[in-house]
Amino acid sequence: MKFRAKIADTGCLNHFTRISNMIAKLAKTCTLRISPDKLNFILSDKVANGGVSMWCELEQENFFSEFQMEGISAENNEIYIELTAENLSRALKTAQNAKALKIKLTNKHFPCLTVSVDLLSISSSSRIVTHDIPIKVIPRKLWKDLQEPVVPDFDVSIYLPVLKTMKSVVEKMKNISSYLIIEANLNGELNLKIETELVCVTTHFKDLGRPPLASGSASQGRNPEQMAEVRIDVKKLLQFLAGQQVNPTKALCNIVNNKIVHFDLLHEDVSLQYFIPALS
Amino acid sequence: MAQLLDREPGLGGCRRRPHHPVTGLRSVTTTAATLFLRLVGSPPTLPTANGKRVDWRRPYGVFGKAVQALSRISDEMWLDPSEKGLALRSVNACRSAYGCVLLSPLFFQHYQWSASVEINGKATPSNLNCQLAMKSILPIFRCLNSLERNVEKCKIVTRSDKSEVLIQFFCRHGIKRTHNVCFQESQPLQVIFEKNRCTNTLTIQPRVLAEAIVLFTSSQEEVTLAATPLNVCLKSSHEGSVDLTNSVYSEMSVGPDEFDFFQIGVDTEVTFCFKELKGMLTFSEAIHAPISIYFDFPGKPMALSIDDMLLEANFILATLVVVPSRTSSPQSLCLSQKLKRSDLIQSNSKTGKNVTSKAPECVSRKAAPERLRPTKSSTKTSALENCSTPRMKRAEGGISEVPESSAGTAEEAPGSPYLRKFSCMFFGAVSSDQQEHFKYPSDGLANGSQEDMNDGSFSTF
Repeated sequence: MKFRAKIADTGCLNHFTRISNMIAKLAKTCTLRISPDKLNFILSDKVANGGVSMWCELEQENFFSEFQMEGISAENNEIYIELTAENLSRALKTAQNAKALKIKLTNKHFPCLTVSVDLLSISSSSRIVTHDIPIKVIPRKLWKDLQEPVVPDFDVSIYLPVLKTMKSVVEKMKNISSYLIIEANLNGELNLKIETELVCVTTHFKDLGRPPLASGSASQGRNPEQMAEVRIDVKKLLQFLAGQQVNPTKALCNIVNNKIVHFDLLHEDVSLQYFIPALS
Repeated sequence: MAQLLDREPGLGGCRRRPHHPVTGLRSVTTTAATLFLRLVGSPPTLPTANGKRVDWRRPYGVFGKAVQALSRISDEMWLDPSEKGLALRSVNACRSAYGCVLLSPLFFQHYQWSASVEINGKATPSNLNCQLAMKSILPIFRCLNSLERNVEKCKIVTRSDKSEVLIQFFCRHGIKRTHNVCFQESQPLQVIFEKNRCTNTLTIQPRVLAEAIVLFTSSQEEVTLAATPLNVCLKSSHEGSVDLTNSVYSEMSVGPDEFDFFQIGVDTEVTFCFKELKGMLTFSEAIHAPISIYFDFPGKPMALSIDDMLLEANFILATLVVVPSRTSSPQSLCLSQKLKRSDLIQSNSKTGKNVTSKAPECVSRKAAPERLRPTKSSTKTSALENCSTPRMKRAEGGISEVPESSAGTAEEAPGSPYLRKFSCMFFGAVSSDQQEHFKYPSDGLANGSQEDMNDGSFSTF
């Protein structure tokens, strides 16, 4: 099992750092899947996560000037490792003014992801920073739980409003109620609702666009006024929104009535899918 | 108090009044030495040693930052004036770290200090044995930015009649803020450390060090400084820690030309407490002065220093002893130290000490006895209590030798296994009559008790 990669471009490095920061906000521990052309950050829908799952995918050639990997075997040319996301984002943060950044899998008494950075310094000698991030290699038999989640046949698909606005609304709602209903219809209307004994608060977003429908989807022939809703934990939604430091290139939301809400974002060339299940 | 602000430069002389009048009979331990000093905003600019002009626009900031830096070491601080200036000193409970910021009389617009008290008609040398709790003094110098903006003059006076320090801020718009802080009578400690005899000396700008510091999380307890003539590396230290598999190991290596001064006589790696390094760094950033690091081999204390025209700051830190195993990997360092620890525990029981009195800070916390700093919860009685012998009340000028710290013969000395590691931190009480009392039985110290204090080779802080 081998992995070495190098980022030589500052723009790519900053982008990778931002992605890593976002992952650190979305998950404490996550899985990194390394394959010949992609890197994936995965959070599987375990009870520990409250049923939330995440799938983030990036094309390695958009970031790395050099990329070599060898999976555990020829047929299974992939590597799955588990790490604390914050460790990676912190290591990358120190690479602000780097000439180059190298990542590789090492085994210094225990498996590590070693990030080594060549810093620009005023003097002629360069400064080298190394971080050994401890990781756990995930055995082959557990890989099946870490596959790309199937996007369910959704009832409503809608473009999200500005995420910062959503976040500030949800932040305030969190103080009032632990549960939140997110509902949307095919007319471009999305509501965030909370209900308590004393008060109900609803925030209405209108004129949101509707993404093109795939043919044969459940939402075809659906009354555009009809709302599909999901009742979810407000903290999970807030965690997702708080992770989006930068406004994404594309952000849409798919709802399966009373089942699950699926957020599909695109940050330049990195795709992020986040699933929050309905509370029973 | 209608005093006009007096901005003449150089008005910072120290006037000693040997026959300070004292009313009535006093017991010898009563504080009678006094301190009167005045800080003024925007004092005159003074040239520094290397010719650059330093503009000390922020004396309150500097004073406040000095107190904050020392608060990283301990919860208490001594105010110790002398003819050299006002020394702020602090020592941590485990005697593994000592800090002293010496503010020259020129730092103050007015510096007046008397060193002796007249008792029964005889002038007796006596120190101002003033120990303040950080809890009391930190809040006074808290909002430094607003202090700088609003305060025109700051007066610090100790009273001869009560154990109190008066701190007065004369602010704009005629506002006067007065604090009376009670102090505890306690003779200050100082450390004997031959800074200039260290084989390795580095001087670095705080900016460079700050870039290294960000590598480590605030939960990082200790860091290791590894130096060779080719480069210097600061790295995280995980000695004996059980959660090796969970913590990130980080290191930054810096080339010689990034240092203002680079002299490495012997390849070495010293491990010391991260908190104190951060404390000194924050202070040096505040006053824009480079930090000098003096060190030798593991086990021997090291010094972090700032040497400036108007002040001198020194942190003397104990370093971890390492069993000679010269691989550079951090994990093997841990293993070798595990061995060392078990040796100590065995020999502890051999000496018939109460084995259960292993200091809890040493053993229980993450099973890593070689902690350089005490943990907060030190409620159990333990061998470590020996080291926190707090108040060394001496009548006058005596050496208070802390036996566990004079560990020249580290292997046989009783005391907690923890402390035995920190050899060569010699403590002595500050005596107003410095020359007389340097007679340490241990041969670790220079035998030149007659040496002049200022020749640089044998310096006290």
